[in-house]
Amino acid sequence: MTGINANRFTRPASIAPLITFRIAFGLLMFASLLRFWWRGWVTDIYVLPQFHFTYQGFEWVRPLGNTGMHALFAVVLLAALFITIGFLYRISAIVFFLGFTYIELIDVTTYLNHYYFISLVAFLMIWLPANRRYAVDTLLRPGNRRTEVPAWCIQVLIFQISAVYVFAGLAKLNADWLLDAQPMRTWLPAKTHLPLAGPFMYKPWVAYLFSWFGAVYDLFIVFFLLNKRTRVYAYGVVLIFHIATAVFFPGIGMFPYVMMTASLIFFSGEFHERLLGFLRGFSMKPEQNSVYRYSKQKIFLAVLGVYVAIQILLPLRFLLYPGHLFWTEEGYRFSWRVMLMEKAGNAYFTVKDQTSRAFFVVNNAEFLTPLQEKMMSTQPDLILKYAHHLAEIYRQRGMQHPEVYGEIYVTLNGRRSRLFVDSTVNLAAQPLGWEHYQWVLPYQK
Amino acid sequence: MKKISLVAIAAFLSATVFFACSKSGGSDGPETAQGFDKTAMLTAYADNLIIPGYTAMQQQLVGLKAASDAFLAAPSGATQATLKQAYTAAHLQYERVAAFQFGPAETALLDIFVNFSGGLDYNFNTSGELTGFSVDSVTIEKNITNGGYNFQDMTRVSFYSQGFPALDYLYFGPNAIDKLNASPVKRKQYINDVLARLKSLADKVAGDWQAYRAGFINNTKTDVGSPIGSMVNQFAYQLDLLKGPRIGWPFGKQSNGMVFASKTEAYFAGISGVLAVENVSSLKKVYTNNGSGKGLSDYLVALGKTQLNTDVIAQFDLVTAKLGAVQDPLSAALTSNPAAVEAAYKEIQKLLTLLKTDVASAAGVQITYMDNDGD
Repeated sequence: MTGINANRFTRPASIAPLITFRIAFGLLMFASLLRFWWRGWVTDIYVLPQFHFTYQGFEWVRPLGNTGMHALFAVVLLAALFITIGFLYRISAIVFFLGFTYIELIDVTTYLNHYYFISLVAFLMIWLPANRRYAVDTLLRPGNRRTEVPAWCIQVLIFQISAVYVFAGLAKLNADWLLDAQPMRTWLPAKTHLPLAGPFMYKPWVAYLFSWFGAVYDLFIVFFLLNKRTRVYAYGVVLIFHIATAVFFPGIGMFPYVMMTASLIFFSGEFHERLLGFLRGFSMKPEQNSVYRYSKQKIFLAVLGVYVAIQILLPLRFLLYPGHLFWTEEGYRFSWRVMLMEKAGNAYFTVKDQTSRAFFVVNNAEFLTPLQEKMMSTQPDLILKYAHHLAEIYRQRGMQHPEVYGEIYVTLNGRRSRLFVDSTVNLAAQPLGWEHYQWVLPYQK
Repeated sequence: MKKISLVAIAAFLSATVFFACSKSGGSDGPETAQGFDKTAMLTAYADNLIIPGYTAMQQQLVGLKAASDAFLAAPSGATQATLKQAYTAAHLQYERVAAFQFGPAETALLDIFVNFSGGLDYNFNTSGELTGFSVDSVTIEKNITNGGYNFQDMTRVSFYSQGFPALDYLYFGPNAIDKLNASPVKRKQYINDVLARLKSLADKVAGDWQAYRAGFINNTKTDVGSPIGSMVNQFAYQLDLLKGPRIGWPFGKQSNGMVFASKTEAYFAGISGVLAVENVSSLKKVYTNNGSGKGLSDYLVALGKTQLNTDVIAQFDLVTAKLGAVQDPLSAALTSNPAAVEAAYKEIQKLLTLLKTDVASAAGVQITYMDNDGD
């Protein structure tokens, strides 16, 4: 049995899909990072804030200051460019992965599913021989050219994209999404400015159509992409679906473009050969077919198995927590839950001195950017991080034993706002961790 | 079978996208037939509330100039009392347009130059520095003596030495009449310069709205910087100002009860209370579009949020009532009637929560003053 499986994964396959993927990924990353910089977000998000919500275990990741952050972006931009042209590929992929991931780890409030996706893909790219054709590297060293790679090199990327879609689809199988068409019913009436489609945005049936179609699309598109006969049509649907999401929800940024580009990997080697045809003069196809061989392929495959298992289990970790996932958000991130809920909060904090009973109301705007405050107000782990930070601030300001209390109201999917956490609990004394936070009040419909 | 359904789906989606993407030459096809007419709402906002608001602001400043001239010509208790009426009328009119801090007003930085609040992101308790609705009397006196001031300077010192805070100090500050009699020329010059600056800002914003109006009424988006997005964000921002620099922070909410009486709005005129009441009742007028049936409140009702809308209006009224119960001058009430201030503060918090969470969420607006991606 292992023999059959191993064969399925290790049989030679055309390197072409990998090459297209490399070029497209590199270009898209270059454009995406340039856009980020051009919009002034490097400064807004990584230079101006005086406090950052770090990831547990990555508290050592710090912004590098104005010059440092812009230099880091410049390095990552350059790495993306090098990946595109396949120059110093392995090093560029490592630099891109480390640089991009470092940036993303600075502040939880900037978390986006497609940033996580980019980090994962960048990590995979390090280990894939995507510079063995149509690359400066092989121009310099023609002997390194290969026409084929073990099939798993393509399959792992297919797996990664499939995981995004299928988990995004599974996440939509909830009562709010399917039975109430929420949050679409909240979001669509804000889209009446769209020509022709606009007037329909007030209609509840349109919200249901969007919800159900989105769920079906996410759940099944992968299978139609995998099937040779339906692939072309399915990719047409991919394009239309993501262009539609870009038109209706421009706020999701680069996500549609990332998915449209990444989904090209489903196409066959012949398709990609033709696609790369315009680069032919540049490639100087090797005289004979040659397969890229991993010297320690078994180890690679074993590690890959672990990676795949993690990717499947991580989005399911929410099952280990009690309570309503959308309310507590315990196990919410890194699970491909994209545009799944409308949530807004308002958080008032007070700091009291245990000994003197001195009492201070906190002005969040003094410590957080509007974006940070918005994200913090609805996510328990960020609320706790901020509460700990406040305790530290007030300790520095001379308070002996600061206690931090939060009066936080949250609205979810159009329901009226409710008290989110127990306002009598001293959050400064609550530990950060992976366990369920008892001080988050239970969700009420 | 599969193929057919896929083709059908693809056809449907292409149609949707085609409709969504195709440029149809402006806003043909009124939205009224299908639901709520946002352009009609925005038109009513522009024509009934915003543009008339700035026109009235211009007129009030003309009236203020006349009363100011009379006061400067013959500084006395009597002319000062008349001036105070004109000043109050002008400042109250500013509260009525304060929530329109977007578009032309944002370009002109109207709120900063006319009625600087100190900013929400600035530590109110910073020692030795001016915060909240302070006035920089030291810089004002220095400017009067030395001249050479530039009201366009982008510094906190500059913001605190012009606009209503400067007038409040120069008209009604300690020994205002005596100081005016002692060094009339330069002092009068400064007052007139402050007034001229105020007038030119109001003129600019009122004038710019003529050209801005068309874009405003036709932009029915809700993203950052859109009319609806901006107005909903202003509800939250103005309530944050009320909770912070207008009431809460001078009351000592950030400072363990230590009161900062002199950091109340228009401290010397002693009209902080009526200004706060006007601010929040104007905000309600913005919310309901002055009860015209074309307000954001009506939009919420059209979206099926009737109960929420009822609660928001009731909470607006409750805040207005509680604030009204705080007797002016607020600076004195902060210590003489803390219970009334505390009661108003509590209701302000509740209103802020409703606007920042329920209303913003229902309207599809993000409360954030910066552009960003999300998912």
